[in-house]
Amino acid sequence: MASNAAVPFWRAAGMTYITYSNICANLVRNCLKEPYKTEALTREKVHFSISKWTDGKPEKPSMYLFTIFFVLSQIWVFSLSFLIHFL
Amino acid sequence: MAMAALRREGRRFAPLISPRPITAVRSSPIAPTYEDEGPIGVRYISTQVVRNRMKSVKNIQKITKAMKMVAASKLRAVQTKTENSRGLWQPFTALLGDLPSVDVKKSVVVTISSDKGLCGGINSTAVKISKGIRKLNSGPEKETKYVVLGEKAKAQLIRDSKKDIELIITELQKNPLNYTQVSVLADEILKNVEFDALRIVFNKFQSVVSFLPTVSTVLSPEIVEREAESGGKLGDLDNYEIEGGETKGEILQNLVEFQFSCVMFNAVLENACSEQGARMSAMDSSSRNAGDMLDRLTLTYNRTRQASITTELIEIISGASALEG
Repeated sequence: MASNAAVPFWRAAGMTYITYSNICANLVRNCLKEPYKTEALTREKVHFSISKWTDGKPEKPSMYLFTIFFVLSQIWVFSLSFLIHFL
Repeated sequence: MAMAALRREGRRFAPLISPRPITAVRSSPIAPTYEDEGPIGVRYISTQVVRNRMKSVKNIQKITKAMKMVAASKLRAVQTKTENSRGLWQPFTALLGDLPSVDVKKSVVVTISSDKGLCGGINSTAVKISKGIRKLNSGPEKETKYVVLGEKAKAQLIRDSKKDIELIITELQKNPLNYTQVSVLADEILKNVEFDALRIVFNKFQSVVSFLPTVSTVLSPEIVEREAESGGKLGDLDNYEIEGGETKGEILQNLVEFQFSCVMFNAVLENACSEQGARMSAMDSSSRNAGDMLDRLTLTYNRTRQASITTELIEIISGASALEG
């Protein structure tokens, strides 16, 4: 199985389980065939505006328009295949 | 000429009424609104004023009825999603329990509210409960921070709890709600906020007319371990066998993150449902009130109209009898 590292690779890279499962879900959605694929991709849209407050003062709010999954997922697919080669 | 202008201005419902010359000169360039003095010194409002009022109340009634229909259709759309999402957190509660009475140092209250208004009292109840939780959790070495979702709670919490706010998140409902969005949000909260226990305050959707404010508690993995050692529901966790190469601490970490994401998803959906339901009932009572107001205004209008007709008749008759007599 995987190497006996105490920590799985994604947690070592600073991802939470949520990020990991979202990337996997994105990969699965991209594997669908055409009419279902566009439907599923509409379920992936992320939009919210978040602003961090310190000491009673807001910092500048940042918008989350998330299409970064695609880039991240390519990176992880690559590194996954790399790891599997080692085992 | 002034009289003709006033007549053209629209006193079509009262053809017998011709404005008296003195009052016409006084008020025609300015506005048609004025108070008339009847023959006995009784004051009554001009029919024009009442008619304008009736027109605007009728428009308001139409608008609120339309808003109710819109809210009803949105509710139908979100309701199926919400009922399906309830199955996500129930296994977590069966496994890890929901212990609102757990004693922790750092608790974070996630208040979920709506961005738009006109939805009744649900946002105020959510904020009230959040503040109540904060009071319950106050004590030496204990602190409570807020994470606010939605504009309405933001407005209320900024007023008196500015120092305790960690994150504010708005514009959540721009696209239809989906799991990806809420999980990214949950991820942001997990990354930015240190917590021992997360208490999520939202309005649970029981039915179209009833929304219960609820608190769901998600504990951090260390607190879960601590509670597991002290027995009770969580004490059974050691009976489970762990497959794969992961340790119990690792699995608990994953579980807690996933639990938070699922509970947030359900909470946001339930709150959206409650918002639409509350808006429906608010707009419904608003239309009903507008209808009542319209009835009362109609009565006033008719009374006013008849009174001015009577006044004119009296004037004509007394004028005629003065000429004869």
